[in-house]
Amino acid sequence: MALGKEQMKLLYRNLVRADHFDKMMMNRIMQGKLIGFYHPGDGAMAAGVGASTFLGDNDILNPHHRAHGLGYAAGRGVDVGRYLAEHTGKVDGCCGGRSSFHWSFPEKKMYGASGFIGWHFCPVVGWGWACKRKGNQMVLMASGDGSYGQGGAHEAMLFAMNWKLPIVFFCENNGMAIHSTISDMHPMPDISSLAQGYGMPAVVIDGQDVFAVAETVIAAREHALAGKGPTFVEAKTLRLREHDVGTPDLARAEPREAAYLEELKKRDPVVLATTRVLAEKVLTRKQIDKIYQEAKEEVAAIEKFADESPVAQPSIEELLAGVYVA
Amino acid sequence: MSEVRELPLVEAIREAYRQEMERDERVFMVGQDIAGGIFPHTKGLVEQFGTDRIVDTPLAEIGMYGTAFGAAMEGFRPIVDFMFAGFFLNAASPILAQTAQFRFIHGSQMSLPMVITGACGAGMRLGNEHAMLVHNMIAQVPGIKVCMPSTPYDAKGLMTAAIRDDNPVAFIWHLGTMMDRGPVPEEPYVVPLGVAEVKREGGDVTLVANGFQYKNAQIVADKLAGEISVEIIDPRTFSPLDIDTILKSLEKTGRLVVVDESWESRSTASEIAAQVVDRGFDLLDAPIRRVTIPNIPLPGGHMEPYVAPNPDAIEAAVRDVCR
Ligand SMILES: Cc1ncc(C[n+]2csc(CCOP(=O)(O)OP(=O)(O)O)c2C)c(N)n1
Ligand SMILES: [Mg+2]
Repeated sequence: MALGKEQMKLLYRNLVRADHFDKMMMNRIMQGKLIGFYHPGDGAMAAGVGASTFLGDNDILNPHHRAHGLGYAAGRGVDVGRYLAEHTGKVDGCCGGRSSFHWSFPEKKMYGASGFIGWHFCPVVGWGWACKRKGNQMVLMASGDGSYGQGGAHEAMLFAMNWKLPIVFFCENNGMAIHSTISDMHPMPDISSLAQGYGMPAVVIDGQDVFAVAETVIAAREHALAGKGPTFVEAKTLRLREHDVGTPDLARAEPREAAYLEELKKRDPVVLATTRVLAEKVLTRKQIDKIYQEAKEEVAAIEKFADESPVAQPSIEELLAGVYVA
Repeated sequence: MSEVRELPLVEAIREAYRQEMERDERVFMVGQDIAGGIFPHTKGLVEQFGTDRIVDTPLAEIGMYGTAFGAAMEGFRPIVDFMFAGFFLNAASPILAQTAQFRFIHGSQMSLPMVITGACGAGMRLGNEHAMLVHNMIAQVPGIKVCMPSTPYDAKGLMTAAIRDDNPVAFIWHLGTMMDRGPVPEEPYVVPLGVAEVKREGGDVTLVANGFQYKNAQIVADKLAGEISVEIIDPRTFSPLDIDTILKSLEKTGRLVVVDESWESRSTASEIAAQVVDRGFDLLDAPIRRVTIPNIPLPGGHMEPYVAPNPDAIEAAVRDVCR
């Protein structure tokens, strides 16, 4: 199903915003203005934007850990000011400044994050089960190629298919997990081949093409809401930089080749999308400039909000009060 | 006497790996991204030992641990690296329900020599999962030993002991000690498991601490010197626990503060307090104080410095028992 012009405009805008958010995080970690680590999404922000922009308000959205979920945050309309305030330990952070990267917006049905890659393969079963019982809502669960090494991935696919749960298994395959390449980790190049054993419909798409991703996810969502069960969507993407800022960029024990990385840069999703919206006259150069200008202003406002928020240092008593429901 | 060379703790661990792998063909390492190395403790090992002995796995803790578990039954001596020690929880059932209890329940007929390792500790401000010290969760289960080094010397000696031990041993190390330098003899040596060490002699109060908290204990002892004389005991091994060394110190001091970078309840600090009350009640001149993490999931952000044990909290506890 082809996208309309308004849909394409929205996707394009969200992609530019997500790209700006990722660059903001990169700049901040380099300047020591971010807590903990950052796993850059540079050159790979399209998949998250395409997967999240047209979900329903009641759909559950589990973001991928890469770029700390910013592509999904952009598509979902999350308050990135509160997101950044969380990543900087501020009182206006979405979790009161105590979570670092474990950000959460339950009101947006983005329940949270974990440092354990693949943690979501456990609750996704219940997310799907609950959505099926309530009706007219579904789950988009994103994660990377590496995460499908976890045994829980297979339990999740088994339950999802047995019970025809409304889940999209959305895999961002960037061919890497820290220093391991896909061929080190998986016997087959397509992670979606795993779905075959469960009889789950699976598609492989270009994760650099924000429009293709959105079209595919819209169709998979309709399939799920029609009671036909899960779909596996594998978005092929790439990793331009090191796993997380400061870690050497290796494949096994050898540095990744510069020429290869240069080749990857030609697949920049923002450049690809710009070419297309201009060619198809969805946007003019002037409108694009305006989108960039607005994204810049949005980032400035986000940083200002986070930076002006006070450091969160509640007392032990206040923290203890947050452990249990009263 | 020749001067002993100094090494960072992480290189002391690596030297133990290297020497034990040279010494014994059956020793190998398995983990995620250990050929490239997330932390420098495995740097250069794949070049020397090849991919048969420095084994990278998919992102799958159960399969990764399973490589070690099964191979140990078949006569190998694996070292399993969980990267962050907290990730061991993904393989908690094979480790805690099976491995630890396997020998006993099967009539004590076989041994499972293996080392389970990973880095941990507050300081990176990442929050509970990465920081989590897992020693107490593991130490509760009989059949597995648990240790953590405070100094580069102990790191090499404990790791060597762990690799040579015929039991499963969890060796966790604190990221806040990773680059600490200290003397490390070049030849292989063992720091025996289950033996504590008096690391600083003093007469007024016994302060038990290890890992990163050992450094905080030294800061406090230095600060109080001249006023309160602090004896520091490093338990080095949590299980089995060397309570005798602590009791012996209490004969002199009569006062006990235990630092444990773990939750207050059911911690090693609680265990030491209980054993001291059982066996050394008459030695005590003051209540025992525990300096731990309150029963809160360790937050990230700017809260680690005051939620985790720190010099101020340790000093307050020491002063309190010495009133
Ligand atoms: C349970 C667990 N094991 C290992 C890690 C360490 N780790 C963090 S990210 C990562 C790689 C993830 O790869 P993938 O799922 O492909 O996502 P990508 O980083 O490529 O975007 C690993 C191994 C972890 N965080 N959690
Ligand atoms: Mg990947």
